[in-house]
Amino acid sequence: MFSLSTMMRTSWIRAGRITEIVGELSSGRTSLMTACLRDVTAAGGTAALVDADGAFDPASAARTGVVLSRLLWVRCGGRRDAALAATDLLARCPGFVLVALDAGETPPRVSLGAAFRLRQAARRAGVALLLVGRRRVAGAGATLAVRTRRDALAWAGSRRAPTRLAGMSTCLQVIRNQGAASPPSERLDERQWWTAS
Amino acid sequence: MVDGIVSRVACVWVEAFAAAAAERAEPSLRERPMAVITGAAPATRVVEANAAARERGIRAGIPEAEAVARCSQLVRRPASAACADAARRALLDACYGVSPRLEDVAPGLVHVDVAGLGRLVGGDAAVAERLGRAARAVGLPARVGVAGTRPAARIAARAGLHVVVPGGEADALAPVSVATLDWSDEIAQALGRWGVTTLGELARLPRAALAARLGPMGLLAHDLARGVDDPAPWTSWAPPPFWEEAQELDWEIDALGPLVAVLGRVVERLTARLSAAYLVADALELRLALAGGGHHARTLALACPMDAPRPLLTLLEHDLGARPPQGAVTAVALQANAIPRRAVAGELGRAAPPAERDLATVLARLVTLVGAEGVGAVALADSHRPDAFVPARFEPNLVPETGRDTGDAVLALRRLRPPRRVSVATDGERRPAVVCGALGPEERVIGCAGPWRVSGEWWDAGAWGRDEWDVALSDGAVCRLARELCSGEWYLDGVYD
Repeated sequence: MFSLSTMMRTSWIRAGRITEIVGELSSGRTSLMTACLRDVTAAGGTAALVDADGAFDPASAARTGVVLSRLLWVRCGGRRDAALAATDLLARCPGFVLVALDAGETPPRVSLGAAFRLRQAARRAGVALLLVGRRRVAGAGATLAVRTRRDALAWAGSRRAPTRLAGMSTCLQVIRNQGAASPPSERLDERQWWTAS
Repeated sequence: MVDGIVSRVACVWVEAFAAAAAERAEPSLRERPMAVITGAAPATRVVEANAAARERGIRAGIPEAEAVARCSQLVRRPASAACADAARRALLDACYGVSPRLEDVAPGLVHVDVAGLGRLVGGDAAVAERLGRAARAVGLPARVGVAGTRPAARIAARAGLHVVVPGGEADALAPVSVATLDWSDEIAQALGRWGVTTLGELARLPRAALAARLGPMGLLAHDLARGVDDPAPWTSWAPPPFWEEAQELDWEIDALGPLVAVLGRVVERLTARLSAAYLVADALELRLALAGGGHHARTLALACPMDAPRPLLTLLEHDLGARPPQGAVTAVALQANAIPRRAVAGELGRAAPPAERDLATVLARLVTLVGAEGVGAVALADSHRPDAFVPARFEPNLVPETGRDTGDAVLALRRLRPPRRVSVATDGERRPAVVCGALGPEERVIGCAGPWRVSGEWWDAGAWGRDEWDVALSDGAVCRLARELCSGEWYLDGVYD
């Protein structure tokens, strides 16, 4: 079994390539993206998050371990075109280790040519591009695409009257793998996300 | 010796300071004869002239018409208080980068306490060289003299002596011509009548007789010739908390291109001053005087503190492009909020942060794209209120602190801003059973945890309190609902994802 925590620290997301995380709401895609931001910023790297809907929660990110002073947060107020343009700008700026686009529930349409141009820009600048949303955006421009799916919920407190959500169990599935560090199986890993409060 | 503390003084002197200030604002004037004029026509007079104009016989005080008659290519510029003030501050800033103890004597004349700098910089000659270099870096050609007293240092600077050995002030000043200094008319006439041509001859005159003939001014002249220090105490100069450069325009500018060209020179001068003092700007305040009498003011908080002129100019250009001034511009003033430059130590294996120039350009474009309030870093606010955070400085260049890499997989919450008001139907145990208007028209609650009561600031007018519920809805989403205690209304805070 390929360990997700190991992947995030090594070759799962690579510089100069586009990686996509797709999934339904409450499937763990945002938690996975936040963990990637944590890995980059905690290691001293610079990351940027283009937030199409302004849904990023700094509190849970800080609990995850994201160094907020090294994370550039771009809030686009629901404007998908602005989010894409901002991602394109940041992908051309050398020095950012990771640029993540959280496209939310209604990701924008991107033509194949635009996706390849985006990948070319990221490759030249050496930036790892992470696209997160309900469905895929970059098509054939993405090197790796994974789908998140929720398996189970865990509740804290008494069984009859739980007091808080304790955690969520999710799994990942590779839906596109074009030259990325190849995981051994299509089903990647199971992961449990815990609420910290 | 001043105050019993200062034993070595450097004097930094800029000849024809008003002309030097004009050249600093308009560097192309250095190659051409130029004079700064003042007064109302037709009684305009030359205040000061640059070196090229002085070679052509143009002196301070002559009428403008006479100056033009002596040199037909003479370029004339009106005396500008803003320009002179900026140059005066620039010279002080430059000296402040070498020694923190300064005395602002007059425009273009600064005393610098250089005692003890030898171990840092080198000998007196090295200190003088560094002061001269710092002044040139801010666009002012300065002469520097180092001596044991302030008058001796001033004379050394004007006479080109550079360094006067400790205790040898009188001997070093003896051969200097009395014409090097500016005397009052009475003193100058007396010295001429007596045939005194050097400071040494003046110093050898009987002091009592000099006092009898010329009074206190004669005694001061005698002290000056011997290099004896002023009786006035040392008045230290402290840098102001703001750094400003300004330029008045002889013509009105109503297009962005020429305005950016003018701004470029202003930014270069400002950043040179900041660099000389080892400071960087973390905010800029731009004020444009408009032809109609109004003003156009903009404040730019820099996401990344810097002193590089080109990124700052790019930021200003983008801001002016997005919000152009409502009229022709007649004067430009740029103020920087300066903070100490932070030393950055790289770390092996750490990815290099974005270059300041690249970052500033990208940030400027992002601000144009989504607005200034939508770009930047944040920090958690010191509050238990939900979703409490404050804007913070984006600092990719900081030495990386040890990140709190907990290794924990924390479930992230996708916030709705502002929280969405929803209708909730509760069951018999007052727990949410049906939610309307959350993510669809109506969802059934299939899992529920709570209530989890949180409250705060009950001691203040902004008291708040709420019961939070974590609910799993029938469409698969896991949400956080909150019921306000004061109003009883339900809100959708966010979705766990």
